[in-house]
Amino acid sequence: MIEFQQVCRSYGDKVAVENLNLRVGGGELYALLGHNGAGKTTAIKVLVGLIRPGSGTVSVGGYDLVTQTREATALIGYVPDQPFLYDKLSGREFLQFIGRMYGMDAGQVGRAIDREIRRFELFDFVDELTETYSHGMKQRMVFASALLHSPRVLVVDEPMLGLDPHSIRLVKDLLRSEVAHGLCVFMSTHTLAAAEEIANRVGIMGHGRLLFDGSLDELRERFPIEKKSLEAMYLALTERDGEADRH
Amino acid sequence: MEKQTGIEKFHCGRLTPLMNELALQSQLNRVADWEIGTRGLPSEDREAQLFWRLRYQITRTQLRQLLTTSRLRTFLVVGLSLFFWAGLFLLFYEGFKFIVDNIAPAGAPYHAQTVQFVFHLFFASLNVMLVLSSGIILYTGLYKSPETVRLLTLPTRPERIVLYKFQEAVFYSSWGFFLLASPLMIAYGIVAGAPAIYYFLLPPLIISFVYVPSGVGAICCMLVIHKLPKLRRIIVAGIALAVIAFVAPLIWQTINSPQSKLFGAEWFHETLHRFRFTEEEWLPSTWLTNGLLEAARPAAAVGTSMVADLPLVQSLLYLALLVSNALFLHVLTVWAAKRWFRQSYANLAARHIRRRQVRQALADRVFSLLLSPFPPPLRLLLIKDWRLLRRDPVQWSQFLIFFGLLGLYFLNVDRFNNPHSDINYVTWINMVSFLNLAVVGLILSTFTTRFIYPMISLEGHCFWIIGLLPIERDTILWSKFWFASLGSWVPCSLLVLLSDVMLQVPMLVIGVHQLTCVLLCLGLASIAVGFGAMMPNFRETSPSKIAAGFGGTLNLVLSALYIMVVVVLTALPCHFYLLADNGPFGTSFVNPQYLKVWLVVGTGAAVVVGASATIFPLRRGLRAFRQLEFI
Repeated sequence: MIEFQQVCRSYGDKVAVENLNLRVGGGELYALLGHNGAGKTTAIKVLVGLIRPGSGTVSVGGYDLVTQTREATALIGYVPDQPFLYDKLSGREFLQFIGRMYGMDAGQVGRAIDREIRRFELFDFVDELTETYSHGMKQRMVFASALLHSPRVLVVDEPMLGLDPHSIRLVKDLLRSEVAHGLCVFMSTHTLAAAEEIANRVGIMGHGRLLFDGSLDELRERFPIEKKSLEAMYLALTERDGEADRH
Repeated sequence: MEKQTGIEKFHCGRLTPLMNELALQSQLNRVADWEIGTRGLPSEDREAQLFWRLRYQITRTQLRQLLTTSRLRTFLVVGLSLFFWAGLFLLFYEGFKFIVDNIAPAGAPYHAQTVQFVFHLFFASLNVMLVLSSGIILYTGLYKSPETVRLLTLPTRPERIVLYKFQEAVFYSSWGFFLLASPLMIAYGIVAGAPAIYYFLLPPLIISFVYVPSGVGAICCMLVIHKLPKLRRIIVAGIALAVIAFVAPLIWQTINSPQSKLFGAEWFHETLHRFRFTEEEWLPSTWLTNGLLEAARPAAAVGTSMVADLPLVQSLLYLALLVSNALFLHVLTVWAAKRWFRQSYANLAARHIRRRQVRQALADRVFSLLLSPFPPPLRLLLIKDWRLLRRDPVQWSQFLIFFGLLGLYFLNVDRFNNPHSDINYVTWINMVSFLNLAVVGLILSTFTTRFIYPMISLEGHCFWIIGLLPIERDTILWSKFWFASLGSWVPCSLLVLLSDVMLQVPMLVIGVHQLTCVLLCLGLASIAVGFGAMMPNFRETSPSKIAAGFGGTLNLVLSALYIMVVVVLTALPCHFYLLADNGPFGTSFVNPQYLKVWLVVGTGAAVVVGASATIFPLRRGLRAFRQLEFI
């Protein structure tokens, strides 16, 4: 479903992503981990079409993100780390706009909105202006808008940021249930516990390179003495990379 | 036992049936809509409709909110705009009447030449302003807005995003044009006795004209950003050279042009010659000027039977020229958007931001030395605000541009070598010197509203830093007050001194002006700081939006009133005093015994008003700031 082929991207002299090769299929939840500045956000921005790769290709559902941008983005639902909503629209009006932009007709949009209202418990505030929402309410609305058109790929940047425990539970359950029903989720996060709980594949990035790509079990096999927690394995791997980089 | 992954847990049945059911619905939709991505996306027309609907919904909500929650602010803004419009209309009306009464009646060649000159100059200036403002507004809307990020991740055509933002840029860059141009055109129509068709042609002429420079600005904006990474040095050097090539001759001409008698024939010809470039045939402002003047010309005044020579036909031809160019630029904008926008956005998003190592600059050390009389906590806060100002080019560049233009204008005001015994000349000089003072004050008031008023609101975001410092809250507010007063007093007093020196006003007037300057700076700083503390807006992060709110508008209005009162109080007695000294009617007009008393009373009253405007807002602001809760 998602395919990065030898993707490189630099910011001037600084290499943000170096030779990234990655395939994520339907029904998979891929968690991309890494320190700040490791290249996660760049990888996500390339995946949703905000940044173009310097070299290499990225495709979604077989569509190239650079040459077939519309077709590719039509398959993606994106949840950014900073939620954007139109202040002067109600949540329902915002969802209607998004649904229509994906080519859904009035009936489809209406049914999809009802579904997302139930899923994210938006009943109390969906008809209020979004400028009155708290961060958690905004994040739930953004999730609803990302899933409204039943995308084949969900790209999520830091999904747990600023959410209360109830909303975190909601998001985790949502991601797991959607993945079980065939959705491909590509998630960037610093919340290792969440990644450990819900991901079935993890990628660890450091200095723009993908240091590890595989399941948690494969990671545990690689680090048998690290007490088997993702946090310990992650730190061991990234520290090793840091030392190698210094040398 | 090994940990289970999420999917394994899911299959163990830990999820709620609702989540399961909804995920199943999504899955079924995914299968059913498999081909939506390629075939079901909205057509170009449908996409345009959706964006218009979005704009309609947003505008409707904004208007509703304005009329329900911000009624006072709305009426204040609308009322002031109407007042401003009416003032401009009267000014233009009297100006055109002056031309009719003193130069030539409508239809005469001299009249046409004079009006043409005014129109050419006026619209050519606005032409440049529209190119720049639409380019800058589009840049902010397209490349710096979180909305664009959202829209780019939807399957939206890039040209639709550009057009959507371009419409905003046209609107925001041209409302000032409408406010300035409409009273001018209507006043001219009335004075020239224009036929009804003139008024019908005004809207299409204005709208089509506005679209042309805005389109040029939009295309330049996208082109510059598109080519910036590769041609950064060439673009910067090109712009710098163009500015130097344009500005240097103007400054040279201004300073070195021979002094001619004010309003004399030579002065008039010199002025006409200097601005001849505004009459170039390829300028859209020329098409608009010609279109307007032709529409205003009565058909009976033309002694021709040729249809093509009829004023209405000529005006329609100019309108067609404007419309066709506007449409061409629309097509060109769409083409540029398709080709450049996504790529240029990606280039800008992926540009390398150099990390700046900052050390204590010489300017900081000098500033710190100058502030040594202040207590250490106040000094530290002042140095912090100074550094924020120094490192933010958006702020100091605006100061530089406005005060630079004023300086250039002041350098130009001594171009008249009339005899100093001429009463008209003395009256003129004195009036201009006080008008200059008022202009400096008014520009200063826009700066205090734009930069000083939002300071407390912006401090709210990092109040956890200064709020927890072992200092009195009052110190924070005092630091803002001193920063604003001292920071504005130095450039303002220098500018006013420059104006006075160039106009060769008497020492008495220089003294009065310098005192007025101090009063204005203290009062305006206090109003901005006091109202900023009384009406903070901690939800907004943009200083321009804070300044555009109700508090900011009130601050601007009160500041303008304060300036007018202080300037009139000091100017009038001075004016009569000088007239009595120089005028041919001497002391017959006013009793010389009371002239000095008037001078003292006027200045004293200004000092009282200044002291009140300094003390009361600041005191109220301090009280409000002590009780403020930062949430």
